[in-house]
This record gives sequence, structure tokens and C-alpha cells, in this order.
Amino acid sequence: MSQSYNRGLVEDFGRWREFTAGMWAWILHKFTGWVLVGYLFTHIAVLSTALPASNAASGVIAAETDVYTTTLQGLESLALVRVLEVGLLAVAVFHILNGVRLLFVDLGVGLEAQDKSFYASLVVTAAIVLASVPTFLEGVF
Amino acid sequence: MAERYSSFRSGSRSWLFQRVTAAFLVVVLAFHFFLLHFVNHASEVTFAGTSARMEQWGYLLTMVLFLLTATFHGVNGVYAALLNQGLTGTKKRAVKGVLAIAGLALAAQGTYVALVMSGVM
Amino acid sequence: MSTQIQEESEEATETETETAPVERESPGDRRREAKRTASDQRVASEPVGEIEGDTFRLKVFRYDPEVEGKMEPRFDDFTVPREKGMTVLDALIYARDHYDTTLTFRHSCRQAVCGSDAFFINGRQRLGCQTQISDLDGPVRVEPLPHQDVVKDLVVDMEHFYDQMHAVEPFFQGDTPDGDLEEQRQSRENREKIKMSTRCIWCGACMSSCNIAAGDNEYLGPAAINKAYRFAMDDREEDELKEHRMKILDQEHGVWRCQTQFSCTNVCPKDIPLTEHIQELKREAVKQNLKFW
Ligand code: HEM
Ligand code: SF4
Ligand code: FES
Repeated sequence: MSQSYNRGLVEDFGRWREFTAGMWAWILHKFTGWVLVGYLFTHIAVLSTALPASNAASGVIAAETDVYTTTLQGLESLALVRVLEVGLLAVAVFHILNGVRLLFVDLGVGLEAQDKSFYASLVVTAAIVLASVPTFLEGVF
Repeated sequence: MAERYSSFRSGSRSWLFQRVTAAFLVVVLAFHFFLLHFVNHASEVTFAGTSARMEQWGYLLTMVLFLLTATFHGVNGVYAALLNQGLTGTKKRAVKGVLAIAGLALAAQGTYVALVMSGVM
Repeated sequence: MSTQIQEESEEATETETETAPVERESPGDRRREAKRTASDQRVASEPVGEIEGDTFRLKVFRYDPEVEGKMEPRFDDFTVPREKGMTVLDALIYARDHYDTTLTFRHSCRQAVCGSDAFFINGRQRLGCQTQISDLDGPVRVEPLPHQDVVKDLVVDMEHFYDQMHAVEPFFQGDTPDGDLEEQRQSRENREKIKMSTRCIWCGACMSSCNIAAGDNEYLGPAAINKAYRFAMDDREEDELKEHRMKILDQEHGVWRCQTQFSCTNVCPKDIPLTEHIQELKREAVKQNLKFW
């Protein structure tokens, strides 16, 4: 037994066709989790424009020409940002729904339906996101 | 075999807090999305509007708690994900340090911003 | 969740007879019940004898670091005649006996008891002796268990798996009762509780299916945690022993690394509800720690 053969990473992601529901749920939860933390950091960075804005004269704030208001509205006027926001909604809704599924799994409730509850998370996410598209894209296109 | 496990460190605390914060975040994140995209449209957010909301103590408190729990949950989640990849030893300690600093910085900056918005600072 | 059904129906009948009447229905029971119904239906609707007569293609992973032509891993194709009731293990034995005597794989009991022939068959960890050829789509592709180093052909290095199993002290440690003729009694309910966890045959299928175990070498893995469950939940062991067992499980690389992917539960040839057991131990550990805070 002097040598052996290590098949490396192919064993994992090269086999994605064979993944089961629980595995997909884990991958998507991880991915959406990372996107959400990434967004949280950017979000606070953008909102930090409130610091200089708070020093602006009250007339500027009333006229809505302070940095905070112009930055946020400037971003919101970009179609790309709006589309990304729909993506963010999808990510958040899936993470919430699958998060609730995971909480039940942690409580030992409904383990035998864990695959069905994952599919349900996907379907409900899709429904909520599609229903929200008009509101999210209002006025940019 | 037993000596491999002598350096005892329980993982139950971070696991439990991850779930507890998750349960809180479900509600608050849904509320947050709803308030800022459906009740108030994101494209119509202004500094005056934000301050008006933040001046209410209940809202300010909720948002600060939202920030703190989300930061813990997010950063702890990333740390857990890296442990799952087999992170150990010095690298693990370094990653832990970096994540802790990033988390604290985010929480501090965010809280400061919230307080400024509310006019407290 | 639905393959390797044929055996389960047999096994299930066996389980039924040993089930105590007082038993409360667990999620695992319901899951197995569903599987059983599905398999009964399928078996009933299948044409009988159709599988006899023709041949099928068996693709087998080959590798041998000591033989010139086999140092580069490859797949060999064998044509094997179909027979009624043929298992993947039977097919491998046929190929070895008729085509290539160097084809190497572990096997012994041929009845899902010894745990030596877990392979990666058509993209899933299964026991060769428990998997009917008639349940698989052709060609039947047999590989060594993923996430373990291949020693030769289908033989993998199980050392790490055994290390993890031993790390949880997989033996009964309760005090022996005084008096020579005294028996060590266990309540019916307690026996029911740990029943499924005692069925492990150390095949390593679960560990091989777990991608956390693959990434984190220190993670105990499903089989070892289930083994620990079997003793931690056994009422005949004293409370201090349970605490000691929980300490092993409550480390960062113990139960907490489980990400509830259900991969292990899906592949376990003995139908052990591994994820359910791991989750119960997590909650148990949290409860114990809350007591101390
Ligand atoms: C709103 C409700 C939320 C729920 C119900 C929820 C639920 C969960 C749960 C249960 C886990 C643990 C997964 C596991 O360890 O197996 C998790 C992981 C995670 N969550 Fe959340 N979460 C929520 C919001 C958030 C937010 C706002 C963020 C971002 C700041 C976030 C970021 C993460 C990350 C990064 C992980 C780790 C993912 C990984 O394993 O790589 N989550 N979430
Ligand atoms: S728990 Fe099941 S899959 Fe894992 S080693 Fe035991 S019998 Fe095999
Ligand atoms: S040969 Fe013993 S389990 Fe398959």
C-alpha cells in the first residue's frame, strides 16, 4: 500500500448531476448567505453617505439635493441596479424560506419531507420574485 | 484516539446563536424589504424620509438590532463555511481574527450611521 | 431516495416482527413506510422474467500503482449475461472469474451484513451485494467510494473511517451489575430508541457521500456520530458516561459540522436515519450546555 490514487475535486462538483435535494439546498443556502453578507457590507457603505448629508443645510435636505438622497436616487435610476435588486430579493427570499426549512430540520420536525420543503422553497421564491418584478422595476424602463 | 480530542472546544454556542439570530432575521428582513420596496419605494428614499423613520425609537432600535444580528449571523456563517472546508491551525485563527474585526467594524459604522440618521449624534 | 428497493421490502417485514407494539411512529418510520409502499407497487407492476436472457455492459474503474499498464486510472468494459436476481457484486464476480482475475474488490457475506462491498454504483454509494442489476440503468458503472484514496481497482483505504469510528469509543462502558447472575436490563422503549442506530455495518457509504467529511478531515462523520448516539442514548450507561460521550460530540469538529444535506441518510444501506440522530445529538448538546450556563 505504498501508493494510492486521490481523485481530487472531480468527486464533488464534477458530480453535480447526481446531487440530491439536500445537497442543492445546502449549495444555494451557502451561495445566498454569502451574497447577503456581501450586500450588507456594501449597503452600510452606501448608507454612510448619510454622515456628510446630515451636516448639510436644512434647505439642501428639503430640496433633496444632499449627498445621501442624490446617491441613493442616482443608483436607483440605473436599470442595472434595479435588476440587481430583483436578484437580491430572490436571494433573500430563498435564504429566508430555506432558512426556515433548516430551522425545522434542526428542531427535528418534518425530516422525512426535507426534499419536498426544499422544492417548495424554490417554487415560493419564484412566485414571490415574479410577483414583485413590476414594483421593483417601476419607472426605469 | 482520545488525545486527538483533548483540546475541548464546544461548538454549540455559535450553532445556537446562528439559529436564534436566524429566527429573528426572518421577521426583520421580511419587514425591511417590505417597508423599503413596497410601502416606500426604494427610488423615492430621501434623507429627510430616512431621518423621519429613524427618529422613532422603536424603529431605530429594530434597525440597530437588525444590523447586529445580521452581522453576527453573516460573519459567523462565513466562518462556519470555512471550517467545513477543513480550515485549521494558524490559518483558522487568522481568518477568525479578520472576520471578527470586519464584523465589529461593520457593526460600529452601521450603528454610528443609524444614530446620525436619527439625529441623536 | 428511491433506489435499492428490492431488499428493503424483505428487510421491512423482518423489522416488523421485531417491533415492539408500544412503539411511537418516528419520522424515519414514516419515511421507510413510504419507501416500502413505493417498492411494493413497483415490484407488483414489473414484468417478471424480462431481465433474463440478454447481456449488459459493466464499466469498472481500474487502477493499480504497481502494474505498468494500470497506473493511469481507466474504465474497463465487461459484457455480463443477465440473470434473474443478479446483484452488482454477482456481476463483478462474474467479470473477475470469466475475464480478468486481477479485478480487485472486497466482499464477503454477500448479504449486506459485513459492510465490505460499498461502491460508487451509477453515481451513488451502494452495497454491491444489495443492488439489483434490474434496478439500474445500463451501462452499470462501478467506481471505488469517492473521498477515499484508491488502493487498487475498487479497493479504497478505510483507515481514516475506522479512526473516526474508534474516536467515539464504540463499545459499551456501563458498570456491570453486581451478583453473578444479575442481568443488564434495558427497557423496551430504550431498545426501540436505539434500534436503528445499532444496525450500522461499517461500510463507509455515508462518510463517502458527505462532502463536509471530505473537506474537513477532523469531522467525525455520520457513521461515528451514529455509533456515539447508539451508546449515548443507551440508558444502561451511567450519566457521567453520557456526559463524557457528549463531550466528544460537542466539539467544533463533532456534530456541529453536519450541514443537514441528508446525503448520508440517503445512501445508508441499512436505512439508519443518520441526519435525524445527528440533529438529536445537537439539541442534546445545546440542552446540556444551557444547564451549565
Ligand atoms: C432573514 C432570515 C434568515 C434566515 C432564516 C437565515 C437562516 C440561516 C441558517 C439557518 C443558516 C445556517 C445554515 C447552516 O449552518 O447549515 C444560515 C447561514 C448563513 N446565513 Fe442566514 N439567514 C437569514 C438571514 C441572513 C442574512 C441577513 C445574512 C447576511 C448578512 C445571512 C447570511 C448567512 C450566511 C453567510 C450563512 C452561512 C452560509 C454558509 O454555510 O456558507 N443570513 N442562515
Ligand atoms: S451508518 Fe449506514 S452508511 Fe454509514 S457505515 Fe453504517 S451502515 Fe454504512
Ligand atoms: S458482501 Fe458483505 S455487505 Fe456486501
